[in-house]
Amino acid sequence: MNPIHKFFLNQHKHFQPGRPLARLAPFFESMERVFFGPGTVTGQSPHPRDSLSVQRYMMLVILMLLPCLFFGMYNVGLQAFKAAGQPPSFWPMLLFGAKTVLPLVIISYLFGFGWEIVFSAIRKHPISEGVFVTSMLFPLILPPTTPWWQAALGISFGVVIGKEVFGGTGRNFLNPALTGRAFLYFAYPVQMSGDAVWTAVYKTGVQAVDAVSAATPLAVIPATPAGGMAEKTLAAAGYDLGTLFLGFYPDSIGASSTLLCLIGAVVLILLGVASYRIIVGDILGILAMGYLLNLLAGPDSAPYYSLNPWYHLLVGGSAFGIAFMTTDPVSAPHTHGARYVYGFLIGILTVLIRVFNPAYPEGIMLAILFMNVFAPLLDQVAVGLQVRRRIPNV
Amino acid sequence: MVGAPADAVNRLPDPDRIALLPDRIPHIKPRLLVAEGDPVAIGAPLFEDKRDERFKFLSPAGGTVQRIQFGPRRSVKAIVIARARGEEGEIRFPLLDEQGLAAMERAQLIHRILEGGLWWVLRALPFRDLPDPERVPPMILVGLAAKEPFLPSPSVYLKDQAALLGFGLKVLGKLTAGPVVLFSDARSRAELGPAGAMLTHVVEGAYPSDDPGAVLYHIKRNAAENHAWFVSGADLLLLAQLLRQGRCPTRRIVAVGGAAAPVRQHYDVRLGAPLAQLADPGRLTGTERWIVGGLLRGYASSAEGFMGLYETSLNIVPADEAPDFMALFNPGWGRPSYSRTFLSRLNPQPLVYGCKLHGDRRACIACLHCANVCPVRMLPHMVYKAILAEEVEEYLQLGLLDCVECGLCAYVCPSKIELSQTFIAARRAYAREQAHKRE
Repeated sequence: MNPIHKFFLNQHKHFQPGRPLARLAPFFESMERVFFGPGTVTGQSPHPRDSLSVQRYMMLVILMLLPCLFFGMYNVGLQAFKAAGQPPSFWPMLLFGAKTVLPLVIISYLFGFGWEIVFSAIRKHPISEGVFVTSMLFPLILPPTTPWWQAALGISFGVVIGKEVFGGTGRNFLNPALTGRAFLYFAYPVQMSGDAVWTAVYKTGVQAVDAVSAATPLAVIPATPAGGMAEKTLAAAGYDLGTLFLGFYPDSIGASSTLLCLIGAVVLILLGVASYRIIVGDILGILAMGYLLNLLAGPDSAPYYSLNPWYHLLVGGSAFGIAFMTTDPVSAPHTHGARYVYGFLIGILTVLIRVFNPAYPEGIMLAILFMNVFAPLLDQVAVGLQVRRRIPNV
Repeated sequence: MVGAPADAVNRLPDPDRIALLPDRIPHIKPRLLVAEGDPVAIGAPLFEDKRDERFKFLSPAGGTVQRIQFGPRRSVKAIVIARARGEEGEIRFPLLDEQGLAAMERAQLIHRILEGGLWWVLRALPFRDLPDPERVPPMILVGLAAKEPFLPSPSVYLKDQAALLGFGLKVLGKLTAGPVVLFSDARSRAELGPAGAMLTHVVEGAYPSDDPGAVLYHIKRNAAENHAWFVSGADLLLLAQLLRQGRCPTRRIVAVGGAAAPVRQHYDVRLGAPLAQLADPGRLTGTERWIVGGLLRGYASSAEGFMGLYETSLNIVPADEAPDFMALFNPGWGRPSYSRTFLSRLNPQPLVYGCKLHGDRRACIACLHCANVCPVRMLPHMVYKAILAEEVEEYLQLGLLDCVECGLCAYVCPSKIELSQTFIAARRAYAREQAHKRE
């Protein structure tokens, strides 16, 4: 017999009802599922069942997030070296990035999974694999300088208040990772916004004083002189189209690379895990609002008005939000038609928040959370339309 | 999909024991008319429906009642008849020819069918219950195709039966004021020959496009047509036989399929035949599941079980309970899935469908797979939530009564939620409530 199977069989007895660890049975099950699919067979018709499980569904999302994580490590190192005036060299940068990023990821998993275990034991629900995705998403949208305790607090808030108090995965109406992120954003603005937080400090001390942290593209655009082109200002700050697309600029840990998000989105759409309807809606919404503002732009309007709409897709974590956050099926509307509208409105709101409220440059985060709240309303309308099309049968 | 039955037909000898399974007939409340040890002839009433005593169920064999099996709360599970050696006693019914049928009143015809014990072949939507004989249906649907894996192929059971089918359709024409809709898919139309020419509709697409409820959903024009009746093609042949020949039909064509079935083909067997006659248990390992009916709608039985009245196939599929090592990371070349998350998507070979759940029960994550596969465009995830919240108005509005009980929603669900069983239970409960109101 397979030794791992033997190990799980031996441990299983401790988690049986009546034994001291009975409450942790969901935890045992979730660990066993990493190695073994369940052997249970159906009790009733339909007799065969699809091979797809929620575990696999979530695992595929995590798989597509890993490139963003590794790129994030590298980019954190790169930006820190740049700021510190160090010559760039691949391995030291990656190592430095890993040292900065991995603790946040580990903290996120410890606390996110920890809260899930606590709630599964008390509320007696199975551990949903959604929490593994949440715990991976959350550190990727943090600034690399986030203090560890804030990361722990943020993921705790996201998992507990954003999800568990409503009954766990499947019953949450907000995206838990974004809820945690938004909580940190409003509770600790000093550590979550401004120019300095997006670049990790390499070697504190004398050098750090000289270190110049670069502003993020979102902060560069409003600084465009009147009548100037926002794109040119960006390029002057070193953010040309290629840099923005590839993601070599200071930003949240894993959200900067549009390329990797694009790959992730395409793969998830091909696998049928992410809803292409939402993504199409998102992109159309951002472009439509961007063009509309271009039309309204006058000589003395804010520089954001005249920004090429495609740039909106490249900066400020738009691509990451579109690929991995808006497509969270639980907090999105639960009907196909409403998902187009949901995506479209997220796109519009993202641009609106960025342009009209410079205090909150992270438009996509707030736009998604805002539309999460409205998703049930969109569903209500979509279902109403569908019911009206049916020939009633009562 | 591995396990399709071959088109060959074997005529099997009469078995020693034959059974009628009352609790496999939905909705009815049986009242026994025989006791253990009673002698019965073919066509002798075994039980009737307490709700309407005209609904009689006649013996498919002559001999003695060997055993009556009861289930929980005195439900009648099976009436087993030990068949008499040699010639079985038989009750004859009046004959009916084309002229006789043309001259006959509707009420007389209904009386004949009721007396002949074959009222059960007719069923009324939306609940799929035996219809009320006094009610004139707006339409009768007859489905020939057999898209659910695996049922007898129409080109096999309708071979040389076109005249009988035509007679059956004329009988149905008498029963309804509206049209008789005969449908099948394009492939079987080509194979059916003269019977194919009688088709009024051709269905497209995979299972359950050939379900009468799904067909009705697409062709109905108003709410009155929701109460259409339907008959399966195989059952219609039984009805035509009874009226034409004046004898209780005792045989039908049954398909044996499924990935674990030792021999996969069609058989000509007695109604209510023992399953062991169709597949040799000695050639199986003992972990297989015996499914009477199709994989998605049939019921689980065993080598000791019998064929039900409505079921026309036996499927035997693997049901071992060994956990799959590293199932989560398996690229899945040979794993069937509706989703695109397995490499089997690219695999042209037929795949083995077993009975594994392949996952644990989780909360709904709104992947919308169920909504994508529903043949009547319900939103199964929303209907499910409405049922749990007991929002009767809401789930009826969403179309619960259009549900054809095909089982696809539960099949595709990655959270392994028992959607279709929940719908079936809610539909039964609603049907009971409506019946109660009428009384």
